[in-house]
Amino acid sequence: MTEQPGRTDRWTLAVVAVALVLVIVGGGVALQAWRTSRAPSAVPGATAAPAALTPANITSGSPVRFGQPGAPVTITMYADFHCPHCADLEEKIGPTLTAAQQSGRVTLELYPMAFIDAGSTAASNAVACAAEAGFGEPYYRGLFANSALKWSTSQLTALGDLVAGTAPESFDRCVTDSSHADWVQSINAAADAKGVTGTPTMFLNGNPVDIASLTPDTLETMIEQAPHK
Amino acid sequence: MSPTLQKQRTRLDVAAPWISTLARFGLAGIFLAAGLLKVVDPQSSVQAVRGYELLPESLVTIVGWAVPFVEIALGLLLAAGLFTRLVGVLCAALLLVFIAAVISAAVRGLTIDCGCFGGGGMVGIGETTYGPEVIRDIGFLWLALWLVWKPRSRFSLDHADQEEIE
Repeated sequence: MTEQPGRTDRWTLAVVAVALVLVIVGGGVALQAWRTSRAPSAVPGATAAPAALTPANITSGSPVRFGQPGAPVTITMYADFHCPHCADLEEKIGPTLTAAQQSGRVTLELYPMAFIDAGSTAASNAVACAAEAGFGEPYYRGLFANSALKWSTSQLTALGDLVAGTAPESFDRCVTDSSHADWVQSINAAADAKGVTGTPTMFLNGNPVDIASLTPDTLETMIEQAPHK
Repeated sequence: MSPTLQKQRTRLDVAAPWISTLARFGLAGIFLAAGLLKVVDPQSSVQAVRGYELLPESLVTIVGWAVPFVEIALGLLLAAGLFTRLVGVLCAALLLVFIAAVISAAVRGLTIDCGCFGGGGMVGIGETTYGPEVIRDIGFLWLALWLVWKPRSRFSLDHADQEEIE
Protein backbone atom coordinates (compact mmCIF):
# COMPACT_ATOMS: atom_id res chain seq x y z
CA MET A 1 0.00 0.00 0.00
CA THR A 2 1.43 3.38 -0.96
CA GLU A 3 1.56 6.41 1.29
CA GLN A 4 -1.83 8.06 1.33
CA PRO A 5 -2.47 11.73 1.75
CA GLY A 6 -5.10 10.94 4.39
CA ARG A 7 -2.71 9.19 6.73
CA THR A 8 -1.71 12.16 8.90
CA ASP A 9 -5.32 13.31 9.02
CA ARG A 10 -6.26 9.88 10.25
CA TRP A 11 -3.76 10.09 13.08
CA THR A 12 -4.95 13.55 14.02
CA LEU A 13 -8.53 12.26 14.04
CA ALA A 14 -7.50 9.32 16.21
CA VAL A 15 -5.85 11.62 18.74
CA VAL A 16 -8.86 13.95 18.74
CA ALA A 17 -11.27 11.02 19.13
CA VAL A 18 -9.34 9.48 22.03
CA ALA A 19 -9.04 12.89 23.71
CA LEU A 20 -12.77 13.47 23.28
CA VAL A 21 -13.64 10.11 24.79
CA LEU A 22 -11.36 10.79 27.76
CA VAL A 23 -12.87 14.24 28.26
CA ILE A 24 -16.44 12.90 28.09
CA VAL A 25 -15.85 9.98 30.46
CA GLY A 26 -13.48 11.82 32.83
CA GLY A 27 -15.56 14.98 32.83
CA GLY A 28 -18.72 12.93 33.28
CA VAL A 29 -17.38 11.13 36.33
CA ALA A 30 -16.20 14.47 37.76
CA LEU A 31 -19.64 15.95 37.09
CA GLN A 32 -21.40 13.12 38.94
CA ALA A 33 -18.94 13.41 41.83
CA TRP A 34 -19.82 17.10 42.08
CA ARG A 35 -23.55 16.50 41.74
CA THR A 36 -23.56 14.01 44.62
CA SER A 37 -21.21 16.00 46.91
CA ARG A 38 -22.63 19.51 46.66
CA ALA A 39 -24.76 21.17 49.31
CA PRO A 40 -28.50 20.40 49.33
CA SER A 41 -30.80 22.88 47.63
CA ALA A 42 -33.86 24.52 49.07
CA VAL A 43 -36.95 22.49 49.92
CA PRO A 44 -40.13 24.09 48.57
CA GLY A 45 -42.38 25.30 51.36
CA ALA A 46 -40.21 23.65 53.99
CA THR A 47 -40.01 26.47 56.52
CA ALA A 48 -43.71 27.30 56.15
CA ALA A 49 -45.28 24.63 58.30
CA PRO A 50 -43.08 23.43 61.17
CA ALA A 51 -45.54 24.97 63.64
CA ALA A 52 -47.84 21.99 63.05
CA LEU A 53 -45.09 19.55 63.92
CA THR A 54 -44.27 18.32 67.34
CA PRO A 55 -41.09 16.63 68.45
CA ALA A 56 -41.51 12.90 68.08
CA ASN A 57 -40.20 10.10 70.23
CA ILE A 58 -38.04 7.58 68.46
CA THR A 59 -38.99 4.09 69.58
CA SER A 60 -37.25 0.93 68.48
CA GLY A 61 -39.12 -0.79 65.64
CA SER A 62 -41.73 2.00 65.41
CA PRO A 63 -42.03 4.33 62.45
CA VAL A 64 -41.73 8.11 62.58
CA ARG A 65 -45.20 9.67 62.37
CA PHE A 66 -46.04 12.86 60.52
CA GLY A 67 -49.29 14.77 60.57
CA GLN A 68 -51.74 15.83 63.23
CA PRO A 69 -52.74 13.43 66.02
CA GLY A 70 -56.07 11.69 65.50
CA ALA A 71 -56.14 11.84 61.71
CA PRO A 72 -58.71 9.33 60.40
CA VAL A 73 -56.51 7.74 57.72
CA THR A 74 -53.08 6.19 58.21
CA ILE A 75 -50.69 5.82 55.30
CA THR A 76 -47.68 3.64 55.93
CA MET A 77 -44.66 4.11 53.73
CA TYR A 78 -41.60 1.91 53.48
CA ALA A 79 -38.92 3.83 51.63
CA ASP A 80 -35.16 4.11 51.30
CA PHE A 81 -33.89 7.65 50.77
CA HIS A 82 -31.59 6.39 48.01
CA CYS A 83 -34.19 4.29 46.23
CA PRO A 84 -34.87 6.01 42.90
CA HIS A 85 -38.46 4.75 42.66
CA CYS A 86 -39.12 6.13 46.13
CA ALA A 87 -37.91 9.57 45.03
CA ASP A 88 -40.08 9.31 41.91
CA LEU A 89 -43.10 8.36 44.00
CA GLU A 90 -42.49 11.21 46.43
CA GLU A 91 -42.19 13.64 43.54
CA LYS A 92 -45.50 12.40 42.16
CA ILE A 93 -47.67 12.16 45.27
CA GLY A 94 -45.62 14.11 47.84
CA PRO A 95 -47.60 17.36 47.60
CA THR A 96 -50.92 15.47 47.93
CA LEU A 97 -49.64 13.58 50.96
CA THR A 98 -48.29 16.71 52.61
CA ALA A 99 -51.54 18.59 52.08
CA ALA A 100 -53.54 15.68 53.49
CA GLN A 101 -51.34 15.66 56.59
CA GLN A 102 -51.56 19.39 57.10
CA SER A 103 -55.34 19.35 56.83
CA GLY A 104 -55.47 16.64 59.48
CA ARG A 105 -56.84 13.89 57.24
CA VAL A 106 -53.79 11.65 57.12
CA THR A 107 -51.08 10.41 59.43
CA LEU A 108 -47.98 9.28 57.59
CA GLU A 109 -46.08 6.44 59.19
CA LEU A 110 -42.62 6.36 57.69
CA TYR A 111 -40.32 3.37 57.86
CA PRO A 112 -37.08 4.81 56.46
CA MET A 113 -35.36 1.58 55.50
CA ALA A 114 -31.64 1.50 54.84
CA PHE A 115 -30.44 -1.22 52.52
CA ILE A 116 -29.00 0.52 49.48
CA ASP A 117 -25.83 2.22 50.63
CA ALA A 118 -24.14 4.14 53.44
CA GLY A 119 -26.08 7.26 52.46
CA SER A 120 -29.38 5.43 53.03
CA THR A 121 -28.35 4.59 56.58
CA ALA A 122 -27.11 8.11 57.31
CA ALA A 123 -30.29 9.67 55.89
CA SER A 124 -32.52 7.28 57.83
CA ASN A 125 -30.70 8.16 61.05
CA ALA A 126 -30.96 11.87 60.20
CA VAL A 127 -34.71 11.80 59.59
CA ALA A 128 -35.13 10.29 63.05
CA CYS A 129 -32.95 13.10 64.47
CA ALA A 130 -35.07 15.64 62.61
CA ALA A 131 -38.33 14.11 63.85
CA GLU A 132 -36.99 14.26 67.39
CA ALA A 133 -36.10 17.91 66.87
CA GLY A 134 -39.60 18.64 65.52
CA PHE A 135 -38.97 19.15 61.82
CA GLY A 136 -39.14 15.57 60.57
CA GLU A 137 -41.75 16.06 57.84
CA PRO A 138 -40.08 18.88 55.87
CA TYR A 139 -36.74 17.16 56.41
CA TYR A 140 -38.14 13.98 54.89
CA ARG A 141 -39.29 15.97 51.87
CA GLY A 142 -35.88 17.64 51.66
CA LEU A 143 -34.14 14.26 51.61
CA PHE A 144 -36.20 13.16 48.62
CA ALA A 145 -36.02 16.54 46.86
CA ASN A 146 -32.21 16.18 46.98
CA SER A 147 -32.04 12.44 46.39
CA ALA A 148 -29.04 12.72 44.04
CA LEU A 149 -26.84 13.64 47.00
CA LYS A 150 -24.73 10.95 48.64
CA TRP A 151 -25.71 12.13 52.17
CA SER A 152 -22.51 12.88 53.96
CA THR A 153 -22.76 14.24 57.51
CA SER A 154 -22.20 17.81 56.33
CA GLN A 155 -24.93 17.52 53.69
CA LEU A 156 -27.37 16.14 56.26
CA THR A 157 -26.68 18.91 58.76
CA ALA A 158 -26.85 21.53 55.99
CA LEU A 159 -30.29 20.20 55.06
CA GLY A 160 -31.31 20.60 58.70
CA ASP A 161 -30.39 24.29 58.55
CA LEU A 162 -32.27 24.69 55.27
CA VAL A 163 -35.41 23.12 56.66
CA ALA A 164 -35.44 24.52 60.18
CA GLY A 165 -33.79 27.87 59.67
CA THR A 166 -30.97 26.97 62.01
CA ALA A 167 -31.14 23.43 63.28
CA PRO A 168 -30.35 22.98 66.97
CA GLU A 169 -26.94 21.72 67.91
CA SER A 170 -28.50 18.56 69.33
CA PHE A 171 -29.66 17.70 65.81
CA ASP A 172 -26.17 18.13 64.37
CA ARG A 173 -24.76 15.94 67.12
CA CYS A 174 -27.45 13.32 66.56
CA VAL A 175 -26.52 13.22 62.84
CA THR A 176 -22.77 13.22 63.43
CA ASP A 177 -22.89 10.51 66.10
CA SER A 178 -25.46 8.35 64.25
CA SER A 179 -27.41 8.36 67.50
CA HIS A 180 -30.29 6.37 66.03
CA ALA A 181 -28.18 3.70 64.31
CA ASP A 182 -29.89 0.98 66.36
CA TRP A 183 -33.30 2.38 65.50
CA VAL A 184 -32.41 2.26 61.77
CA GLN A 185 -31.61 -1.45 62.18
CA SER A 186 -34.87 -1.96 64.08
CA ILE A 187 -36.76 -0.33 61.18
CA ASN A 188 -35.13 -2.71 58.71
CA ALA A 189 -36.04 -5.61 60.97
CA ALA A 190 -39.62 -4.36 61.38
CA ALA A 191 -40.04 -4.06 57.61
CA ASP A 192 -38.65 -7.56 57.21
CA ALA A 193 -41.06 -8.86 59.82
CA LYS A 194 -43.98 -7.26 57.95
CA GLY A 195 -42.89 -9.04 54.77
CA VAL A 196 -41.84 -5.88 52.96
CA THR A 197 -39.36 -7.00 50.31
CA GLY A 198 -38.85 -3.83 48.29
CA THR A 199 -39.29 -0.09 48.35
CA PRO A 200 -41.40 1.87 47.92
CA THR A 201 -44.13 -0.14 49.62
CA MET A 202 -47.25 1.66 50.75
CA PHE A 203 -50.30 0.79 52.82
CA LEU A 204 -53.46 2.78 53.42
CA ASN A 205 -55.15 1.81 56.69
CA GLY A 206 -53.20 -1.43 56.47
CA ASN A 207 -54.22 -2.32 52.91
CA PRO A 208 -51.53 -2.53 50.24
CA VAL A 209 -51.60 0.29 47.69
CA ASP A 210 -50.75 -0.43 44.06
CA ILE A 211 -48.02 2.14 43.49
CA ALA A 212 -47.65 1.59 39.75
CA SER A 213 -51.14 2.93 39.04
CA LEU A 214 -51.13 5.58 41.76
CA THR A 215 -51.70 9.23 40.80
CA PRO A 216 -52.34 12.28 42.99
CA ASP A 217 -56.03 12.04 42.02
CA THR A 218 -56.45 8.36 42.83
CA LEU A 219 -54.63 8.88 46.12
CA GLU A 220 -56.97 11.76 46.95
CA THR A 221 -59.96 9.51 46.19
CA MET A 222 -58.53 6.70 48.28
CA ILE A 223 -58.05 9.03 51.23
CA GLU A 224 -61.58 10.41 50.90
CA GLN A 225 -63.24 7.02 50.55
CA ALA A 226 -61.24 5.21 53.20
CA PRO A 227 -63.45 4.02 56.06
CA HIS A 228 -62.69 6.23 59.02
CA LYS A 229 -61.26 4.51 62.05
CA MET B 1 -6.26 -7.21 -3.63
CA SER B 2 -6.92 -9.44 -6.60
CA PRO B 3 -8.34 -7.61 -9.63
CA THR B 4 -10.54 -10.56 -10.62
CA LEU B 5 -12.35 -10.42 -7.30
CA GLN B 6 -12.75 -6.67 -7.39
CA LYS B 7 -14.68 -6.82 -10.65
CA GLN B 8 -17.57 -8.76 -9.21
CA ARG B 9 -19.78 -6.32 -7.38
CA THR B 10 -22.45 -8.40 -5.77
CA ARG B 11 -25.77 -7.08 -4.54
CA LEU B 12 -24.34 -7.28 -1.03
CA ASP B 13 -21.52 -4.95 -2.01
CA VAL B 14 -24.03 -2.40 -3.18
CA ALA B 15 -26.39 -2.75 -0.26
CA ALA B 16 -23.82 -3.13 2.52
CA PRO B 17 -22.86 0.55 2.89
CA TRP B 18 -26.52 1.47 3.21
CA ILE B 19 -27.25 -1.30 5.70
CA SER B 20 -24.16 -0.18 7.59
CA THR B 21 -25.41 3.40 7.59
CA LEU B 22 -28.68 2.29 9.17
CA ALA B 23 -26.88 0.05 11.66
CA ARG B 24 -24.48 2.84 12.57
CA PHE B 25 -27.10 5.49 13.21
CA GLY B 26 -29.40 2.97 14.87
CA LEU B 27 -26.70 1.83 17.28
CA ALA B 28 -25.60 5.45 17.82
CA GLY B 29 -29.16 6.34 18.85
CA ILE B 30 -29.39 3.34 21.16
CA PHE B 31 -26.09 4.10 22.91
CA LEU B 32 -26.82 7.82 23.19
CA ALA B 33 -30.29 7.16 24.59
CA ALA B 34 -28.99 4.54 27.03
CA GLY B 35 -26.27 6.91 28.25
CA LEU B 36 -28.33 10.08 28.45
CA LEU B 37 -31.22 8.41 30.28
CA LYS B 38 -28.74 7.22 32.92
CA VAL B 39 -26.58 10.31 33.48
CA VAL B 40 -29.54 12.31 34.79
CA ASP B 41 -29.67 10.16 37.91
CA PRO B 42 -26.24 9.24 39.29
CA GLN B 43 -27.73 7.42 42.30
CA SER B 44 -29.79 5.24 40.00
CA SER B 45 -26.92 4.30 37.71
CA VAL B 46 -24.76 3.38 40.69
CA GLN B 47 -27.58 1.36 42.19
CA ALA B 48 -28.11 -0.44 38.90
CA VAL B 49 -24.49 -1.58 38.96
CA ARG B 50 -24.69 -2.51 42.64
CA GLY B 51 -27.79 -4.57 41.93
CA TYR B 52 -25.79 -7.09 39.91
CA GLU B 53 -23.66 -7.89 42.99
CA LEU B 54 -20.68 -8.53 40.74
CA LEU B 55 -18.33 -5.67 41.62
CA PRO B 56 -16.77 -4.77 44.96
CA GLU B 57 -18.33 -1.74 46.65
CA SER B 58 -15.20 0.33 45.96
CA LEU B 59 -15.76 0.00 42.20
CA VAL B 60 -19.56 0.22 42.09
CA THR B 61 -19.73 4.02 42.29
CA ILE B 62 -17.08 4.79 39.70
CA VAL B 63 -18.43 2.19 37.25
CA GLY B 64 -21.98 3.43 37.79
CA TRP B 65 -20.91 6.96 36.96
CA ALA B 66 -18.57 6.09 34.08
CA VAL B 67 -20.55 3.54 32.04
CA PRO B 68 -23.25 6.01 30.89
CA PHE B 69 -20.59 8.42 29.66
CA VAL B 70 -18.74 5.60 27.89
CA GLU B 71 -22.02 4.83 26.14
CA ILE B 72 -22.44 8.48 25.16
CA ALA B 73 -18.86 8.64 23.83
CA LEU B 74 -19.36 5.47 21.76
CA GLY B 75 -22.69 6.83 20.52
CA LEU B 76 -21.04 10.07 19.38
CA LEU B 77 -18.24 8.20 17.61
CA LEU B 78 -20.84 6.04 15.84
CA ALA B 79 -22.88 9.08 14.83
CA ALA B 80 -19.75 10.74 13.44
CA GLY B 81 -18.75 7.53 11.69
CA LEU B 82 -15.27 7.65 13.12
CA PHE B 83 -13.21 4.43 13.40
CA THR B 84 -16.41 2.51 12.85
CA ARG B 85 -14.83 -0.96 12.90
CA LEU B 86 -12.95 -0.36 16.14
CA VAL B 87 -15.96 1.34 17.73
CA GLY B 88 -18.10 -1.59 16.58
CA VAL B 89 -15.72 -3.98 18.36
CA LEU B 90 -15.92 -1.88 21.54
CA CYS B 91 -19.72 -1.72 21.38
CA ALA B 92 -19.93 -5.48 20.84
CA ALA B 93 -17.58 -6.07 23.77
CA LEU B 94 -19.63 -3.80 26.04
CA LEU B 95 -22.87 -5.48 24.95
CA LEU B 96 -21.36 -8.92 25.63
CA VAL B 97 -20.50 -7.76 29.16
CA PHE B 98 -24.08 -6.50 29.63
CA ILE B 99 -25.57 -9.74 28.29
CA ALA B 100 -23.29 -11.84 30.50
CA ALA B 101 -24.20 -9.70 33.53
CA VAL B 102 -27.95 -10.04 32.92
CA ILE B 103 -27.68 -13.81 32.37
CA SER B 104 -25.61 -14.12 35.54
CA ALA B 105 -28.22 -12.14 37.47
CA ALA B 106 -30.93 -14.46 36.16
CA VAL B 107 -28.92 -17.59 36.96
CA ARG B 108 -28.18 -16.40 40.50
CA GLY B 109 -31.89 -15.71 41.02
CA LEU B 110 -31.45 -11.98 41.64
CA THR B 111 -34.56 -9.87 41.16
CA ILE B 112 -33.24 -6.74 39.49
CA ASP B 113 -34.03 -4.47 36.59
CA CYS B 114 -31.16 -4.53 34.07
CA GLY B 115 -30.88 -0.74 34.28
CA CYS B 116 -30.14 -0.71 30.56
CA PHE B 117 -31.99 2.53 29.84
CA GLY B 118 -32.05 4.08 33.28
CA GLY B 119 -33.67 2.62 36.36
CA GLY B 120 -32.08 -0.52 37.68
CA GLY B 121 -31.77 -2.09 41.07
CA MET B 122 -34.15 -4.39 42.87
CA VAL B 123 -37.61 -5.17 41.58
CA GLY B 124 -40.30 -7.40 43.02
CA ILE B 125 -40.23 -11.17 42.57
CA GLY B 126 -41.94 -11.97 39.26
CA GLU B 127 -41.25 -8.49 37.89
CA THR B 128 -37.95 -9.40 36.24
CA THR B 129 -37.72 -9.36 32.45
CA TYR B 130 -34.35 -11.01 31.88
CA GLY B 131 -35.48 -12.84 28.70
CA PRO B 132 -36.58 -9.75 26.74
CA GLU B 133 -33.57 -7.80 28.05
CA VAL B 134 -31.13 -10.41 26.77
CA ILE B 135 -32.93 -10.77 23.43
CA ARG B 136 -32.90 -6.99 22.98
CA ASP B 137 -29.19 -6.78 23.76
CA ILE B 138 -28.46 -9.63 21.36
CA GLY B 139 -30.28 -7.62 18.68
CA PHE B 140 -28.02 -4.65 19.43
CA LEU B 141 -25.03 -7.00 19.37
CA TRP B 142 -25.90 -8.00 15.79
CA LEU B 143 -25.85 -4.33 14.77
CA ALA B 144 -22.41 -3.91 16.31
CA LEU B 145 -21.09 -7.10 14.70
CA TRP B 146 -22.43 -6.01 11.33
CA LEU B 147 -20.41 -2.81 11.67
CA VAL B 148 -17.31 -4.82 12.51
CA TRP B 149 -17.86 -6.89 9.38
CA LYS B 150 -18.93 -4.02 7.07
CA PRO B 151 -17.75 -0.76 8.60
CA ARG B 152 -18.06 1.26 5.39
CA SER B 153 -21.11 3.46 5.43
CA ARG B 154 -22.51 6.71 4.10
CA PHE B 155 -22.29 10.08 5.82
CA SER B 156 -19.27 9.03 7.86
CA LEU B 157 -15.92 10.60 8.62
CA ASP B 158 -14.31 7.24 7.82
CA HIS B 159 -15.61 7.54 4.28
CA ALA B 160 -12.78 9.92 3.36
CA ASP B 161 -10.22 7.12 3.29
CA GLN B 162 -12.24 4.30 1.81
CA GLU B 163 -9.10 2.69 0.33
CA GLU B 164 -8.22 1.34 3.75
CA ILE B 165 -11.45 -0.58 3.95
CA GLU B 166 -12.10 -3.40 1.56
